[in-house]
Order: sequence, then structure tokens, then C-alpha cells
Amino acid sequence: MPSAAPPSINGDLPRQFASRDALNTLLAQEFPEAEGELSPIRGGREAADEKLRRIDARRYAKSRNNLKGAVTGLSPYIRHGVLTLAEVRDSVFARIRNRDEGGKLINELGWRDFWQRMWLDLGDGINNDQEPFKTGHDAGAYSRELPTDVRDGTTGLACMDGFRDQLITTGWLHNHARMWMAAWLVHWRRVHWKAGADWFMQHLLDGDPASNHLSWQWVASTFSHKPYFFNRGNLERYSDGSYCDGCPCAKSCPFEGSYEQLENQLFTPIPTIPDSGKSRNQQRNRQSRSSGGASAALARPKR
Amino acid sequence: MTFQRPILWIHEEALGANNPALQAWPEAPAVFVFDTRWIQDAKISRKRLGFLYENALNLPLTLRKGDVAAEVLAFARRHQADGVVSSSAVDPRLKRIGEAIDAELPLGLLDPEAFVELPRPPRLGRFSRYWREAEAVVWKGYSPAC
Repeated sequence: MPSAAPPSINGDLPRQFASRDALNTLLAQEFPEAEGELSPIRGGREAADEKLRRIDARRYAKSRNNLKGAVTGLSPYIRHGVLTLAEVRDSVFARIRNRDEGGKLINELGWRDFWQRMWLDLGDGINNDQEPFKTGHDAGAYSRELPTDVRDGTTGLACMDGFRDQLITTGWLHNHARMWMAAWLVHWRRVHWKAGADWFMQHLLDGDPASNHLSWQWVASTFSHKPYFFNRGNLERYSDGSYCDGCPCAKSCPFEGSYEQLENQLFTPIPTIPDSGKSRNQQRNRQSRSSGGASAALARPKR
Repeated sequence: MTFQRPILWIHEEALGANNPALQAWPEAPAVFVFDTRWIQDAKISRKRLGFLYENALNLPLTLRKGDVAAEVLAFARRHQADGVVSSSAVDPRLKRIGEAIDAELPLGLLDPEAFVELPRPPRLGRFSRYWREAEAVVWKGYSPAC
């Protein structure tokens, strides 16, 4: 903590706390409407530096789509400028032996920069559907309210309730979990992406409308060429089966099936899918799906 | 920038020691304001507030809550400031706050260090287009250690 604490006057919030509990109490008093407790993930440069020291760009490249993979956890610190993208870039450069080792991670930093540039470009327009849905369903078919069982984590789906619990208690989710949850809400539960995106923003420590809203729109297909969805095999594989084992819904899993089956179940065929090459995100869709890009952790296997 | 006695407005996008306003004016009084309207409207959870708070405690600044522009201007009056310095923001909400401050007292904005400096604005809409222009420039800064 810096020694140059400024002189305090009435209305200044305190800078000294005997413990983290004391900060929690202060926040409860000053912001009674803000729900929940503190996250176990701490703010501050020391915590950020610890994460920076643990970067393993090689393992990241190989394992980032797995929930237990070597992801960096840096997003909350980058989002709030505790670390700049330039610092993280230089830190990656200092740790790799050749360009190949850092390629994936540097690429992901590029995604963050890209989202920010998109936000500068779109401004508040980021809150609107960028394009029509390509699901065969009208925008009005999607509920604008987050269902109560989703908010409460009582759906009975071990994976989704588990992701919800992690979101609420820690304020951080692996990107693949974010993608699965978004796809489930939008395509299976028919909830408008904005309802889900706003809910994420309440809780995510890295909550950033650029990355968050545009990724939700990418899943929904309002910022992409086609909707993103997944199946049980995909979730099971990248979560090491940790949710499916013992899930009360394991025998009636809504994600069970081939991609063809699920596609037929979830989407209504639309007469013409824009395929003119003019769709602004077509390239992103293709690129991410083939590479499993982690900004949209697409580990969707080839059919 | 010709300020003699500015104060610094530190916002949610630049809560680090390399905030360009803090670097340019290390002795100037600085303030961070929790935006109570945003917190209420967006139903921001305590987790996020605590995270912001812990980040802010790392920096030599005063913490306030309320209407951000009004609080920053009051802080400027408290220090008889002739201007406000901040870092340029991406979030339109922060830009609007900046405009409200600037309507009362001159606001100077400094750019944080860029991830990649491109000779001209890249074509957006597709990541691949942006990356085609940016990737080589990013990697110019890399040289293998051995």
C-alpha cells in the first residue's frame, strides 16, 4: 500500500482496513444494493504480478480449451488497467524461446485489443443486435428475462448450475464455460443474449461490454455467420467429465446427441444463409472454429 | 497541456501504476469515484466493487462515491485545481463523464501505452483483417533471448 495516503475529508472512503472482512463490511454499508460477497480473487498489482509470473505460453497453447488448462486468469487485471496489454505482451516475450511458443497467447491479446477497437467503433451500439439471428427464430422469440432457475442455479444440470455457482462466488469463469453457458441460454432456453450478457456483467470481475457482449452475440449469431452450439461430448471432454459424473440429469441430458441432431432440434432452417463472403464476421467464425480460438473458446470438433 | 495545478481523475479502465496521468503528474492529487448510478442500474455485485477497491488502494488516490463528474469537480475545487487530467477511455459512459467534467473545467486526456501502434487505423469487422495488419507489428518487439 503506498505511503502517500492523501488527507481525508468527509465523504472520502477509507483506505485502511484491518482485514479483508473489514472491506467487505464497508462495502455492505456503502453499497447496500450490491449483492453477494467479495471474490476470493484479489485485486491489486501484487495479485496481478503473481498471475503474470505463472504465465506458461506453451502449456496455454496446448491446453487452454480445457477447464483445467493453463489459462492465465489475467483478464480482470487487464480489463481494469492494472496491467496493460503491452506489459503482458512484453512479459510473454520475455518467457518464450521462440515465436511459436507464444503465438496463441499473443493472438489472444490481439483479440482483446480488437474488441476494444470494435467498442470504440460501435460505442453504445454494442448493446444492440449487430445482425439478424441466423437461427431461424425471430429476435422476439427470445425471452428478455433471465429464468429464475438459471439465476438461482437450480436447473438440475450439474454443469450449468456449477458454472453459475462459480460465476456468483468468484466472478470469473473459464472462457469455454462462458461459451457453453451462453449457447445453452440462447439456443436451448431461448433467452435473448442481452439478458445473459447483462447477468454476466453483474458478476464478472473482467466484465467488459466489448468482449462480453460481442462474444454473446457471436454465440447467438447476431455477430457471426451462424450460431455456436456444442454437445455433451464436447463439454464432457473439456471438463474431464467432472460435471457429467453424478449429474442428476445425466440420463436426460439436453446436450446429448450429434451436432446434426442438435442443429435440427434447436434451429429452424432458413431459406438462405448469407454466404456471400460479405458477412463481417464470417472470417472470424471460420477462423475461430477451426483454430479453437480462446476468445471464443471453440473446441467444436469437426463433424 | 498547460495546467499548473491539475487533479487527476482515475477511472475503471486504468487502475494501474502505469496510468499515463499518474505518470505525467505523480504529485497531483488523484481521485477515483464509484459511479453509484452505474452500480445501481447495472446491478453490479459486491465482488466487482471489492476488486475495483483493492486495485484503487494500490494507487495514491482518494476514493469517493456518487455522481462521478460532480465528485471529480468537487475534488478539483477542494484542491483549487485549474484542470483535470485523465487517461483516455473506451467506454462511452466514461467518455460522457469526461465531457461533463470538461464542460466545467478543462479536461486533458493522455493515451495509455498501446498494444500495437499501427501506421493507419486497421480495418475492423473481422479479426483476421485486423490481425493481418497488426500481428507483424506486434512481433517486431520480440527478439529471442538466445
